[in-house]
Amino acid sequence: MELFTPSYFLPCLYAFVGCVAFAVTFNIHGREIPISALGGAVGWLVYLLAAPWIPGEIVRYFLASLALSVYCEVMARLRKCPATSYLLISIFPLVPGAGIYYTMEHAIHGETALFISRGMHTLGLAGALALGILLVSSVMRMWTVFRRRTHHFPPFRRS
Amino acid sequence: MSSTLNFDYDQLLDLTAELGFRLMETGAEIYRVEESVQYILQAYGVTTGEVFAIPNCLIISFTDTTGHAHTRIRRIPAHGTDISLLESLNEFCREITQDPPPLAAALDRLDQIQKRHFVYPLPVMLLADFAGGGAYSMFFGGSLRDALCGGLCGVAIGLCLWLMGGLRANSFVRTLASGAVSALCALLLVQSGLGENLDFIIIGALMILVPGIAFTNAMRDIMSGDLTSGVSKTVEALLIATAIALGTGFVLTLAPAL
Repeated sequence: MELFTPSYFLPCLYAFVGCVAFAVTFNIHGREIPISALGGAVGWLVYLLAAPWIPGEIVRYFLASLALSVYCEVMARLRKCPATSYLLISIFPLVPGAGIYYTMEHAIHGETALFISRGMHTLGLAGALALGILLVSSVMRMWTVFRRRTHHFPPFRRS
Repeated sequence: MSSTLNFDYDQLLDLTAELGFRLMETGAEIYRVEESVQYILQAYGVTTGEVFAIPNCLIISFTDTTGHAHTRIRRIPAHGTDISLLESLNEFCREITQDPPPLAAALDRLDQIQKRHFVYPLPVMLLADFAGGGAYSMFFGGSLRDALCGGLCGVAIGLCLWLMGGLRANSFVRTLASGAVSALCALLLVQSGLGENLDFIIIGALMILVPGIAFTNAMRDIMSGDLTSGVSKTVEALLIATAIALGTGFVLTLAPAL
């Protein structure tokens, strides 16, 4: 299968280097730098690996964001650090920066139809990213409450 | 702790307000700030405490044993993200809730954290911008020469952000100017023959500005039920994305005319 050549996975390395650099700009110190940067590489690896089976870019973004959120939550539990600090850095390769740029480019050239479809696509990617993070951290929060066993199920009112 | 007669509630208010304020300034999520303050109040025996936080305001109020109410409001100025400070404050909070020290000692430790805190100097930040811009230029498909140009544009963005920060520009103007500067640099570099693909260079450098952090935080706030904060942070993220597009778009539209 010539699909998974070494050069196919090269972007993971670039993502890792980029994340290390951005970890420094957000003032992360010491061992946390490679740990948070690895999250970015994990996210992109999942995105690349899912390519042959799932053609939709938005669905692959969702899977990648699920994977990196799980990674970040696990690391946060292991290192006793807020999950956010890993998440903020790991998310970088998936942030649709290119989408924003190309949307703007279409707007400049007056290509309204392309502008709208590209803009919607970018919003979709951002939404998939958010949904993945939301899902994992909600489950993790519920799990922590369950583990503490302090839950006594107060009278529930439907809204 | 709370049973001692001369327990200084004002000092407790000082401690919680200061901790909450500093947490907010590091870019912590709303629920983390509210929970941390709540836990500290409970650790010192105050069960009637209320905390309310939105991105630029923090209100703490509680009633002491004599029925007297203590309240403090802190206005949170515009701030960046400092993850290592957030981690130290989080650790501090976990330690003092497990074993509450005397209030004066806790306040002292809080000051020590701020004093000992290390922030990377500007040259290191610029080096990081160079590496980040370059790596993402290649990530999006650029060549090695594009990466070099992306790195240079990243340094230009870093300098522009630093300069605008010194001038107290708000985040919209700051992003707008940085986007314009990076597009200008990329155009010049491609004109000079060093850069090959204009779009990969610009996209790589723009990753420094892209509001991934604001957006992620907004989503986490919405998830934990802080809709007011979530909505205002989402709007902030959209504004920043618009500013990026406007800044680069402005330069790229003007370029053919020159």
